Amino acid sequence: MAKTASIAEGKRKAGRRYKGFSSWNNYLFLLPALLFMAIFIVYPIAYNVVLSFQDVDIYNFRQERNFVGLDNYVQTFRDPVFGTSFVNSVIFTVLSIVFQFTIGFALALFFNMKFPGRNLFRSLTLLSWMLPVVITGTIFQWMLSGDYGVVNALLQSVGILDAPYNWLSEPKTALLATVVANIWTGIPFNMIILLSGLQTLPEHLYEAAKLDGANKWLQFRHITLPLLRPTLLVLLMLGIIYTFKVFDLVFIMTNGGPVNSSTVLPIYAYQLSFSTFEFSRGAAVSMIMFAMLIVIAIFYLRLTSKEEAN
Amino acid sequence: MSRIFRCPPQKEPSLSARSACRQHQHSRLPRLRSRMKLPLLALLVLVLALSGCSSGAGSSDAQGRTVIRWWDTMTSEATQGALRQIIADYESAHPDVKIERTYVSFADMKNKLLLGSAGSTMPDIVWMDSPDHQSFAAAGILADITDEVQAWGEADEYFEGPWSSTVYEGRNYGVPIGSNNLALYYNKDMLNEAGIEPPKTWDELYAAAEKLSKPGVYGFAMTAVKTEEGTFQFLPLLYQSGSDLTNFDNPDTVRALTLIDELVANGYMSKEIMNQKQSDTVIQFSTGKVAMMMNGTWQIPLLRKEAKVNWDVVQLPADKQSATVLGGENWAITDASKHKDIAFDIIKFASEPEQSKKFLQAAGRLPSREDYLQDPFWQDDPQLKIFADNMSVARARAYGPNYPKMSEAIQLMTQEVIIDMKTPEEAVKDAAAKIEQEL
Repeated sequence: MAKTASIAEGKRKAGRRYKGFSSWNNYLFLLPALLFMAIFIVYPIAYNVVLSFQDVDIYNFRQERNFVGLDNYVQTFRDPVFGTSFVNSVIFTVLSIVFQFTIGFALALFFNMKFPGRNLFRSLTLLSWMLPVVITGTIFQWMLSGDYGVVNALLQSVGILDAPYNWLSEPKTALLATVVANIWTGIPFNMIILLSGLQTLPEHLYEAAKLDGANKWLQFRHITLPLLRPTLLVLLMLGIIYTFKVFDLVFIMTNGGPVNSSTVLPIYAYQLSFSTFEFSRGAAVSMIMFAMLIVIAIFYLRLTSKEEAN
Repeated sequence: MSRIFRCPPQKEPSLSARSACRQHQHSRLPRLRSRMKLPLLALLVLVLALSGCSSGAGSSDAQGRTVIRWWDTMTSEATQGALRQIIADYESAHPDVKIERTYVSFADMKNKLLLGSAGSTMPDIVWMDSPDHQSFAAAGILADITDEVQAWGEADEYFEGPWSSTVYEGRNYGVPIGSNNLALYYNKDMLNEAGIEPPKTWDELYAAAEKLSKPGVYGFAMTAVKTEEGTFQFLPLLYQSGSDLTNFDNPDTVRALTLIDELVANGYMSKEIMNQKQSDTVIQFSTGKVAMMMNGTWQIPLLRKEAKVNWDVVQLPADKQSATVLGGENWAITDASKHKDIAFDIIKFASEPEQSKKFLQAAGRLPSREDYLQDPFWQDDPQLKIFADNMSVARARAYGPNYPKMSEAIQLMTQEVIIDMKTPEEAVKDAAAKIEQEL
């Protein structure tokens, strides 16, 4: 919004100074951005849409392509792996967001207090977010290994487990293991955003509340939460979108296995496109994911515009 | 820009021509003003710059040499050094050619080629993993080099297995670089301690795995990951049982799968083989956590350098027959290449005994041709000899362009049985249905 406002202002000023300067000219300044959008965003999406209605596989990849209508979508919805991946994606997203958000929020409240060494510990928590996902994934795969993993060793030494458990090779826990790794990487992001939100809240409100005899919970419930609402909404929406399209972490830790027990939608789409070269079917899965995320985005835009209207 | 819209200067001003021109100019761009020229010019430069970046394969460098782009997947210092030497030797013999070598990770190679062929950044020479070769030939990404291969006349020297992976619908799309196959590595001390000989049959393998397993040590290891590697390691068992992809739905396949199932179910092989690649298995073996493993030729240099255990290697145990699977890489020229003749000349050069052997020895690979394999390097080394002798029986994964889908069916089948989702009979039946569709 700020950008368009300043552009509009710039236009007005420019218009005043140079009489003959047409509005057409000013749009030229948008051109680099538009060109960038067109090449890197609009074109790939449009290409993907077209691809999803064609029959492209390894045979006609560089030759004539036929339009097959909704065939790819029909096939996708009939494929049981699609159902599994969809459910897995939802489980992955919901669990990740719930835990990332609550733990991140708790840490943000904690680091919003003043205590010695605060900055050091706050920076240290960021480590898990700064690590490349390839490394995080490999480390978690290693820690959760059934044969030599540190997690089993710990659980056995305190007597929770009698025998090693194959976290990543059991269909019951493979997905949960990737969720745990994802929660670990996502906490700092949630914490930092919430912390920066918390630090903008005016101190005097809390002081006034204290004078009125409100305890910590009431302060949190009636000052922190309502004032932080815009931040919370942004964070949740971004979190859902980021998490729903997770690929690398799962790819590294389980590659969707065993069988399809941890296959999420992006892994499913990737395997179609790049393991078995069914490019059009992969594109159709991507489009379905795209549609789901659009719905979430629209929901988010509605909420924020209401928020702004208030 | 301005020049384009200016009317041509005319020696004898003919009024009608000039006014026609003016009119034309006027109707095209009525509002073109001098202030607009700069941004338009900038745009033009940008567009030209962008189109300049994406010029196709085949260009020349500042010294006027023809540039040949080369993509390979070799990572180690020794293999890269051997390749750099080949390139330097070729360049000094051909001062008009410059070879630009790019390393592409094994995992990225397929994607890069597919994306590159949709765009236009393609190499001239490329290394293909042999099971993908036919798919990429079918996709039209690789050049048909049948005539060049015929003129070269050395095709008959190659083993049938590796050669067959470069042929699609009777045409040649490549030349094998080097081969590998799978054999049985075993921990000598552990077998001595247990008082057993390396297994020669499936029954012996099972009995040995049982006997060698103890807390902290698995008797046997292979890989069942959900990638091509998983299929690669299941195929030897399939071939030994007497079955094949072309005739998948039969009791022999079930027996091969049951062997894996029972080894895992009884704890003689780890369930984690679904997450451990061949490069992970070799680490388990070299640190004494696994007594026997199925693994490839290329692990020998690593084990000789790093292994903390006393090891040796024998042929895989046999069932109905003795068999192993063939792996390896092939040379190919892209269809997009503008210098296919030079590219093939480089391939010929790199395939000469001196260049080829030096690289293969550094890379822990076997020659794909019979004459080179007679070199004492492979014949006089008892461990390499095991793999060298395998070459005449090792089978290539040459099942046509749909092989990736068959491979996926096998990966899923193995995992379904390991996690007890299906019985071996059910899993084979389901996989066979998928494979039959793709043959």
